[in-house]
Formats: sequence, structure tokens, C-alpha cells
Amino acid sequence: MKKYLYSIVALFALVSCQSLIEEWQPVFTFGDNEPAAMKIYAEDDLYEYDFGGTFTDIQDLKAQYDKKTTAEKSSTSGHVITENIWIKGQVVSDDRTGNLYREIYLQDETAGIDLKLGKSSLYSDFKLGQWVYVKCEDLCIGSYKGMPQLGLEPDNTSLNEYETSYIDSQVLIDTHVFRGEYDTPLSPRMLTAGDISAAIAEGSSAWNPASLWGTYVEVKDLTYGNQIFALVYPHGLIPHKKDNPYNRVFLSDKGTWGINTWAMSKSKYVEYINAGNFDAAEVGSGATRYGAITTKPRDYAEKMGESVINMFGADADITFKEMMVKYATANYVSHYFKVGGTSTILQVRSSGYAKFSDKEIPASVRGGAAVTIKGILTFYDGDAQISLITSPDDPENPSVILQ
Amino acid sequence: MKRAILTLAAILAGTMLFAQPSGGVKGTVVNRNGKQPVENARLVLMQGAAEVATVTSGADGTFYIPGLENGMYTLVIDAPEFLQTQVQVTVNDGYVKNMFNLSLTGMQRVAEIDDDSFAQFDMDDSGYNDNPTILFGSNDVFNNIAGYNFSAVRFRARGYASESQDVYLAGVKMNDAITGYSPFSLWSGLNEAMRSKETTNGTEVSDYAFGGYNGVTNIFGNATNVRKGIRGSVLTNSTLYRLRLMGSYATGLMDNGWALAFNVSARLGGNDWIDGVYYRSFAYYAAADKVFNDTHKLGFVFFATPGQRGAQNASTQEVYDLMGDNMYNSNWGYQNGKVRNARVRKTNEPIAILKYDYTPSDRFNASATVLYRFGKNGYTALDWYDAQDPRPDYYRNLPSYFYDENSDLNRNNQTKAFWAEEVWSHSGNYPTITHINWDRFYYVNRIQTDEDGLNRSKYIQEERHVDQNDLNFAASFKYRPLESITVTGGANARINRTEYYKQVADLLGGDYFVDIDNFAERDFAATPYKVQNDLDYYLVNGSARTLKVGDKYGYDYLAQVRNFGAWVNGKFTFGNFSSNLGARIGYESFWREGLVRKGLFPGTPEDDSMAAAWTAAGIAATDQTSYGKSDVSSFLTYAAKLGLNYVIGGAQRVYANVSYFNDAPRFSQAFLSPRTRNTLMDNLTTVKTFSSDINWQYSGNGINVRATAYYTTIKDQSKVMSAYDDLQNAFSNFAINGIDQRNMGVELGFKVPTYIVPNLSVQGVVAAGRYEYTSNPTLTQTVDNSAEIVMLDVPVQYWKATELMDGTVTQRHYVPSTPQLAGSLGLAYNRNYWFIDADVEYFGESYLDMNPLYRTASAVAGPDNVTTDNEIEYMTTQEKFNPAILLNLSIGKSWYIQYKYQLGFSFNLKNMLNNRSVKTGGYEQTRLVDNTVSRTQYYRFDSKYFYMAGTNYMLNIYFRF
Repeated sequence: MKKYLYSIVALFALVSCQSLIEEWQPVFTFGDNEPAAMKIYAEDDLYEYDFGGTFTDIQDLKAQYDKKTTAEKSSTSGHVITENIWIKGQVVSDDRTGNLYREIYLQDETAGIDLKLGKSSLYSDFKLGQWVYVKCEDLCIGSYKGMPQLGLEPDNTSLNEYETSYIDSQVLIDTHVFRGEYDTPLSPRMLTAGDISAAIAEGSSAWNPASLWGTYVEVKDLTYGNQIFALVYPHGLIPHKKDNPYNRVFLSDKGTWGINTWAMSKSKYVEYINAGNFDAAEVGSGATRYGAITTKPRDYAEKMGESVINMFGADADITFKEMMVKYATANYVSHYFKVGGTSTILQVRSSGYAKFSDKEIPASVRGGAAVTIKGILTFYDGDAQISLITSPDDPENPSVILQ
Repeated sequence: MKRAILTLAAILAGTMLFAQPSGGVKGTVVNRNGKQPVENARLVLMQGAAEVATVTSGADGTFYIPGLENGMYTLVIDAPEFLQTQVQVTVNDGYVKNMFNLSLTGMQRVAEIDDDSFAQFDMDDSGYNDNPTILFGSNDVFNNIAGYNFSAVRFRARGYASESQDVYLAGVKMNDAITGYSPFSLWSGLNEAMRSKETTNGTEVSDYAFGGYNGVTNIFGNATNVRKGIRGSVLTNSTLYRLRLMGSYATGLMDNGWALAFNVSARLGGNDWIDGVYYRSFAYYAAADKVFNDTHKLGFVFFATPGQRGAQNASTQEVYDLMGDNMYNSNWGYQNGKVRNARVRKTNEPIAILKYDYTPSDRFNASATVLYRFGKNGYTALDWYDAQDPRPDYYRNLPSYFYDENSDLNRNNQTKAFWAEEVWSHSGNYPTITHINWDRFYYVNRIQTDEDGLNRSKYIQEERHVDQNDLNFAASFKYRPLESITVTGGANARINRTEYYKQVADLLGGDYFVDIDNFAERDFAATPYKVQNDLDYYLVNGSARTLKVGDKYGYDYLAQVRNFGAWVNGKFTFGNFSSNLGARIGYESFWREGLVRKGLFPGTPEDDSMAAAWTAAGIAATDQTSYGKSDVSSFLTYAAKLGLNYVIGGAQRVYANVSYFNDAPRFSQAFLSPRTRNTLMDNLTTVKTFSSDINWQYSGNGINVRATAYYTTIKDQSKVMSAYDDLQNAFSNFAINGIDQRNMGVELGFKVPTYIVPNLSVQGVVAAGRYEYTSNPTLTQTVDNSAEIVMLDVPVQYWKATELMDGTVTQRHYVPSTPQLAGSLGLAYNRNYWFIDADVEYFGESYLDMNPLYRTASAVAGPDNVTTDNEIEYMTTQEKFNPAILLNLSIGKSWYIQYKYQLGFSFNLKNMLNNRSVKTGGYEQTRLVDNTVSRTQYYRFDSKYFYMAGTNYMLNIYFRF
């Protein structure tokens, strides 16, 4: 009898001791238990972390693009960096307004670079002015329509049109991107019309990127060009790629199409469509044009072919205009601005997902008043564009200022 | 000398003999269930507070207490595994009173593992729910065996939903007023206080309630029904918590007419199988009964189970396979080195009961109960504003998101897939990626400094509240005008006011959070009023409210429910034949009452000044409103039952029941999007249930058998689920109407002595059913951000079956989340306070919960709107779980020490084969992959599953004095 008792008691004691040690202590059951401050890396830490790596400046990193292998050249790919090189730069972008998405721009004394991290709301983790160290080995330097980007090797898919892909993977971010000291945010570089023209000329000639791309700039004496560019896709489920002209509608070459907002949120887009703003737009791209959006795909059956009509499914019998409403999404818009009274154009390109997308461009600006605009200078297919970081009328730091 | 001693002894003995009174008590102690003798029962005869004699029953259950004076005695009978019983004995005229059979009611061993049964799975925001049914009934051989082990695989009797199981406490129906779920968690941890219960099966009518078609359990819960004495127990188990400490004290009915009872417990610690799941729960119970006289009795009960426990989440098989662990729980992560669970249920819902019993005669008794439930019921979750999804197993973090062999899915980045695989298959090296990264929340929140130097949290822990105020009144009577007629009946009323809201539970290192709608902001950023969760506050203050810990935010509304009902049942006995006929009628109504005005659905201005303010602020009135009282939905409910019963030769019984129910839908099934607006589903109707069964029962010679066949149809059920919809890029609500099902099958339970080895019985159950859907319901889809209806009454064409283009049915679809075939065979040994049970169990024909979206024609056809047989089979087939075989063992023993103390233990070992691949439930995600290359078909998102734990134990040591 006693024997049983002892063994039961012993068993219980064993179990409860084990539970006290292994199970109870580490469980958080509310109360104060705040983690210590986050590790902020200094340059010396990184030497310890990855002895053997060497720092290079961002302009030299871009030069890595010339080291493309034969295979990389023959496919849609940038160059995967094989040397253990590091860059360090200060954060000059901020995706708080939603105008930028899944990327940050880093800038050093030589240049700026678009770092395609692939995570949303990056301003939560990366503050303006903060130093960031990037181990570039195994990352991929590529170009999108002439704009240098640092990401990961591209997706090997039939839909891919990019030389780099987003890094995405948390473990790759954790092992390649290190958050450093907080510092005063950089002031924008002042650019003249000549700087921009020179950069366009340099950037568009070959892949010899001007150091201005990807940097934080301020351009004065801009006047509204009364022209916009936007590309919208009527059908939500037919791939949005250039090979599918039957699912593309360009809003260009005809002034502003009545778009007086910086971009179009989904609801604003629908509002413009319903107001008839885009009725004169055509379906198609380049030389392949089908006709007005107020017509149904089936009416273009001859031109499009049966397989394309089938892709539209039941939507083949509604007008493209109705389709645009049905599959409405937010859309970017590029507004043209003339620089310093010259013919040089700077496009202010804003995302339809930006919180300021539906804000109207002030009438005075549209009327021709000169403005100063601040943002990240980017290059797109031979054009200079600027992405606003703060809201145009941000009370603290407006990105569009009436002169 | 020797002679002298002998003489003295003889004289003494003679004197004693002479002095010995001739009265006495004798009888046989038997098990109420089957009338088998109970050996080694301890019988204590009391006269007032004085103990007169103590004896033990023999192997045949008999006992004899001789030498009693004439008088009134109380006989207290105790036996291991049986409830204590007291009987009054009067010894007259020096006779030995023969008590014949004294029946003891078996104790429910299932009660000791109740938390396992009550454990609910965290279905996240999937729109699904999971609530097990729990079988009780010591007087039923099937339920006794099935109730003990089947809960581990989420077995549901006859395939019925948990809501259909009526659970009463002190005569009051306790099923949740809003959802109908069984409410066991309200008193889990108070096993001792809630041990006494009565159950009926299927459609049988209980003395306390008319009941439905899935049995009635009435827990007495009052002081008199708590076992007398001081009891304590220490329990440890390996699947839920390390330690349970429980103590109880009950006086029994004292001479002054009072009975007092107390029960306290604590459940603490983690477990062996699921990280992050822990208990820190306490429970207390106090009750008093006052018996004024034979006619009047008043009882008062107050109890609560305050505490918190961490919840378990489901993941996809991809995650489980990479982790090498089907018990992976994505709800937790390390914070400062400690395991922290994001989903913690924090409850404190006290219940107060006042019950009056009126027994004016042997032929009539009645009782009335007032019961009030109140307090807080919170469930924490992560919330975030404009920040990355923090869930570790979010689909974009998994290898399959980066690479898939099917090129149509357009996932071709092997480098990313490789790294994701590396991380998930070496989880220990990457705890901040494969578990919630709490430390990062603090880092992020601490650097969101605004112009005032305060940090606006991006990640917080919210606490979703469902706080009930539930006032119930119930009365019932039992009247026996003739020996052959018993009439029972009752009336009930319920007023339920439940507040749904969420509050900030933890700012995770930041200083404040802001009360705006994250989803709305994405679509309406340029219209600040539309993103407001509290528009009225915004209009007064010009900005959204900044929130501190404890502040309500997001949504805040009342669910108001009113139920009234009455029932009557007559039982008529004619010799061996008896029948019962009963009916119930009721009126149920509910409505929603919004307490905050949401920017997206402001409704219409209430007066001119409000209209002016809205005009000034550019606010457009909407038809749908978030604020104020909704339309009232009301329903007349009714039900009828007929039962026939024939007893053959005392041991056999044949009985049959047939019943029909017209029940109101629940509040939780009625509103399209209760968090955002008052809009009711259009064609709400009552649920119509027809249920019938026929049964044969045999009890005698230690043999117990029950065999049942049943047939039930349930029609016009509705359901609302909410989930993120990729096609709409919005948080969507899916309302499903007109779900019909048919549940039919057979049940067999038996316990038979082996006759070869004494005290060894063979026992087993078989439950073979077919619970299938018999209709294609309709689906109405709305999104939270818009009043627009995305789909209106679209037929869910492939709900009841996967039917190809030519009409061939390749698969019928079944009621999910329970094995439709379950069996158990085991040996039970019971002797000299030892019991040993060993069972082998089989579970099969279990199916995964279906998502209605995947069964619509448009989801099947894909973007090209062309339907093929391959697409039908791919998209609509219902997953069937693999069958499982389990082996369980229970051992127990108790000892009496000096006839004063009792010490015992029970030890259960479950799933001894360590089978870790038993799926117990899960759900299909309501999401489609639409971003494909060919644009000809949609793909499913991977389903999420819950698995049963491997080998686990439970040890309970108890003592009593």
C-alpha cells in the first residue's frame, strides 16, 4: 500500500517539477516583459558578421550590371552578384503614403538605388535618414526600362517582364539587409532642367546609369504640361502584359482626359469612367488598335480572334467600358510637367493606392503656376519621372510647393 | 483460573447476547445500470451525527447490519466509481429490515477529462467554427463508452452539430443565446460541483425540458447534489495543462435544513504536444440549499471560472510537413525569450442561480429557477495598421508561394522557394520567422514617433469581446394524477443582451493606436470620413480617436435576443407498454443595435442638426446603417414528440421516437456583416427538423446492450461566414441559405461479462452513420467595404455532390468534422477497487468542412467561364480523412484508510500507438488563386487542419475525508 503511495507521489513530484522548470517559466501570461531595444548595426558589427566583405559605393554597384553572364544576357535577367560586396546608404524613401510599394531607395554620396525588398509598409522598419547596410552577394542588379534596381534573380516565368524580382523571403532580408544608425534625413538634391536632360540622355543611351536615378531630388520652376499618361487594363483576369493588347487601354496623347487628381483610386477611376472621361479611349497598344472602349469584345471578334474572345468569357458581351467598372482597381497616373520653361518633361507619377491619389492638383497649378516638386527621381523608358514621398500638401513637408 | 476466565467470558457473552437488540438492516448493493452487484461498497449507518456501524458489501453485493435499536437511521453508501448515496431506514419492532436492491449510480469517468472535450480550436478568421458535442450518460452503455474516448477525434453523436445538444443547468437551458453552442466551458474546472447530472438520449423528453433531437443533459449544480465531505485531487496530463488542483467541501443536508457546498480549482501550465497552449484558469463555486420542510426548498448557487488559456491554430499540410510536426501552432512566438501566444481566451463569466422547489405531495412537484450570466469573455488576436502581415505561416512566406511544379500557377522562383524551405525545415534556427516575431512588434512600434514624440503602434494585441448579460427564467412541474399518467411541463423566458466589441489589450511598446478602418482606408483614403470606425466622434473632434489599453474600438454593437416558450409532455403507462406525447411552442426574436456609427455605413441623419453637420462634412447618407436598432426578426417555433416504449420481461425494452421541430435561426446566422451594419439576410426562415429512432435495450445479468437506428432530416439551415476574398480584394461575407442534410445510421453499445475471468467484461460500441447534404443552398456575398451585393442567391451548384457535365456523380458530400464510422472494442476489469480498461478504436469516414465558394459554378468554371470535368472534380471534391486506429488504456485504484479516508488514482494512456497523423478537423480557406498563366481555371488555397496529439497521459490522484 505504502509502496504504491510513494510511487504515485514520486511520479507526481517528478511531473510537477518538470512542469515548473520547462513549462511554466517561459510562458507569457500578460504583464511587463518588454523586449530590449532592437540591435542597430554599426559598420564594425558587419565586419564581425561577415569578415571578408568589402564596401563599395552605390555607383560602383550599378557597374556590376555590366558583368552579366551570357546566360543572363540571353534571358530576362539582371546580374546575380557573386562577389562579397556591401553597400551602405541612407534611406531616402518612405512608403507611408502608399505611393511607393514594396521597395525602398537608398542613397550614398555617389548614387541612389531601388532596393526591392518585397515587403509592404517598409516605413515601419526603415526610417528616413537611417543607414542601411546591404550585403549584395547573391542579390541581383537589374534594370527595369532603364531604371537600376537591386533585388533577387527574376522569376523564371512566362509572365515575367522584370530583370529582378522582389527579395520577399524574410530569411534573405535578414541575412542581406541590416538596419544601421538613425541619422538626419538627407536633403533633396537641387536639379535644373539641364541636369534632368543630361541624365535622360545618359540613361537612355545605354545601360550606363546616371547617378541621379534613385536619388531624392527637388526640381524648381515646373509648370503643368496639360498631358497625362496612364495605362489601364479593362479585364481583371486577363494577364496585364504587353503581349495582350486586347486588354490594354492607353490614356495618353489627348491631354489630361479630364483627370485632375494626382492618380485614381478605385472609386475615383469608376467615377471618371462613368462620367465619360475615357469614352474616346481605344483598346489596344502600339500599332494593334481595336477601337473604342464603348464597344464589346465580341464586336471586335474578327480582329481579336476566337481564342481571345473566349478569354473574355461572359464578359465578351459587355462593353470594355462596363468591364473597366466591373474589374475596377486603383490606377497610377503620370502628369507631365515642363522643367524651367524648356521642352524637358518631368512626369509626376503617382500610384492609385497612394493616400493622396484622389487629391486634386490645385487649379492654380493646372493653370500654369510654377511649382517646386520633391521626390525620388526615376527613369522609365527614356523619360524622367518623379515619385512623391510625402503628400503634395503634407502640412509638415509638402512635396509640391507653389513658388 | 482457566475455568474462572471461561466462566466470566461466558457470563459476559451472555450478558452481551442478552443486551443485543434484534433489529437490523440488510440488502444488496447494485449498479443502477444493469443491476449487477457492487462488491466492497462501504456502508455507514448513522443515527443523527453518530456513526452506528460500518460494514462492507460482499462479492455478491449483500450486506447485513445486525443489532439495531428501533429508530430512524441514515445509511450512507460509498463505492469506488459510484456516486455516494444516502437512504433513510426505519427499524421497527426489532425486525431486520430488508432494503432489497440499493442502486448506485456510476460515476462518469469522462468528467475527469472534460477540458480535453471542451477545447475549442482556434479557427482564426476563417469563418468556420468548431464546437464539439460531449456525450454523457452513465445510464446508457453507448454514451458511457463513446463519451469516454471519442471526444479526442471530435466525434459528434449521430453527426449532429454541437448546437443541437441541449445543456441545462438547474433546469435552465444554457446553450448560447447567440450561437447555440453548448456552454460547458462556463463551468469547466468545477467537476465536483457539476458532477451530478441527468441525461436523455436522442429525442427523449427529460423531466426538466422538452429537448431537441440530440439529447438533454441537465446538470443539477445545487449544494445538495455535491458529494459530502472534503475532497481534493491533483491531476496532471500531457495535452492541455500540467497541473490541476481541485478541492471541494460539501456538508450534505444538515439537521438544520441547510446544505452548503464549495468547489475551487486551478488549472495551470503548458503541455507536451502543442507549444503555446497553456492554462492559467481558476474556478470557484459556492452553493447553499435550504430545505424549509418537505414542501419548500430554496437553493442558491454562484460560480465562475476566471482565467486565460492559449489557443491552437490550424496550418496547412505544407507547413506541418516542413516542420515535421503536425502539432505546429502558428499562434505563438518568443517575446524576450518567453513563449507568448497571440490568441488567448480570457474569460470571467459568473453565473448566479436561485432555484425554488415545491413538493406539496408525492404526486406533484414543481420548480422555478432564475439564472443570470454576466461578465467578460475576451479573445485576443493580433491587429495591425498599415504593416506587414505578422502571421508566420502566411501563405506568402511558404515555399509553395515561390515555386510550384504547375507552371500555370506562375510560381517559378526556386531560390526563394529553397530559402523558405530551409527556414521551415530548420525551424529551430529561425524562430523569428517560423513563429510570431513579438520582439519585432516592439521594435517597430517604438520607432513610429509622431510630432508629439509619441509612438503610434503599428501592431497591437486586441481583445474581441462577447460579453453576455443573459437573464433566464425557467419553471417546470411533474404531476402524476394516476399511477399510469405522468404529466410534465414547463415554461421559460430568456432575455439576452450581448455586447460585441473589441478593445486594445496591449500596445506592444507603442503609446497609442488609432480607431480607423484599415480596409476602408485602402479604398477610401481620400474620403477621411469613410474610414472612421466612430464617425460621430470624428465629427465632434475632427480626427479619429487615439486609443490606450482598455479602450474600445473597431466595432461595438449589441445582439439582443428574446425567447419565450412553454411545453408539456404526457407519459401514459399501460402495463408493459408506455407512450409519451409532447409539444412545445415558442416565440423567438432578435435584433442588432449598433452603438457606434461607422463611416462606411452612416445611415440617415437622425435630425436636422445632424443632417446639417453631415452636409457640411460631405457625408452621404446610406440605406444600410451601422448605428441604432435593426429590424426585429421574430419567429414562431414549435415542436412535437411521440414516443412508444415496450418492456419485455423486465430486462428488455423496445422503444421508438418520432419528432418534428420548427426552430428559429440564430442571431449569428442572420446578419450579413454584424460588425459593420444592421443588414439582415433576406430570406431568413426557420430550420425544420424531422427525427425518428427505434431502439432495443437489454439490461440484466450484468449484460448491457443498446441498439438504435435513427433517421433525421434537417432543412433550411443557414450560415454566415466571413473571409478575405481575392477576387474582390476585400473582406467578404458569405451568407448561405437553404442547407439541407440527412443523418441516418445505427448505434450499438454493449458491455458483457466474459464469464471466463470473473469481473472481466467485454465492451464496445459501433456508430455507423451517413450524414450527407441533400440540397444545393444559395450563396449571397457582400463585402465589408461596400453596400453592393457581389452575389445574390447564387446556387451553390456543387454543394451536395460533385456532379460532372454529363450528370455522373463522382462523390456525394457529407456533413464534416466527425467520423461517420466509429467503433470501439475493449476489455474492462473491475475488482477490489481496481479498474482496468483497454480499448482499441477505429474512426473512419470523416470529411473536411466545405467552403461554399468552391462549389459555385463560377469558381469551378474559372476566368474563362468554361467548365470542364477536371475543373469540377478539382474544385468541388470534398476531402476525406484517412481512417485512424487508436489504443487506449485506463487504470485506477482506490484505497480506504482506516475507513475514514479514501485515496485513489486513475491513470489514462491515450493513443498508445502514438499515431500522429489523425486529422480531427480543419477547413478549406475561402480563397482562390486567380493569378494564373492560362487564365482558364482557378486554384484552391491549401486547406488547414488540426491533428490529434500522439501518445498522451492523464494522471489523477484524489483523496477524500
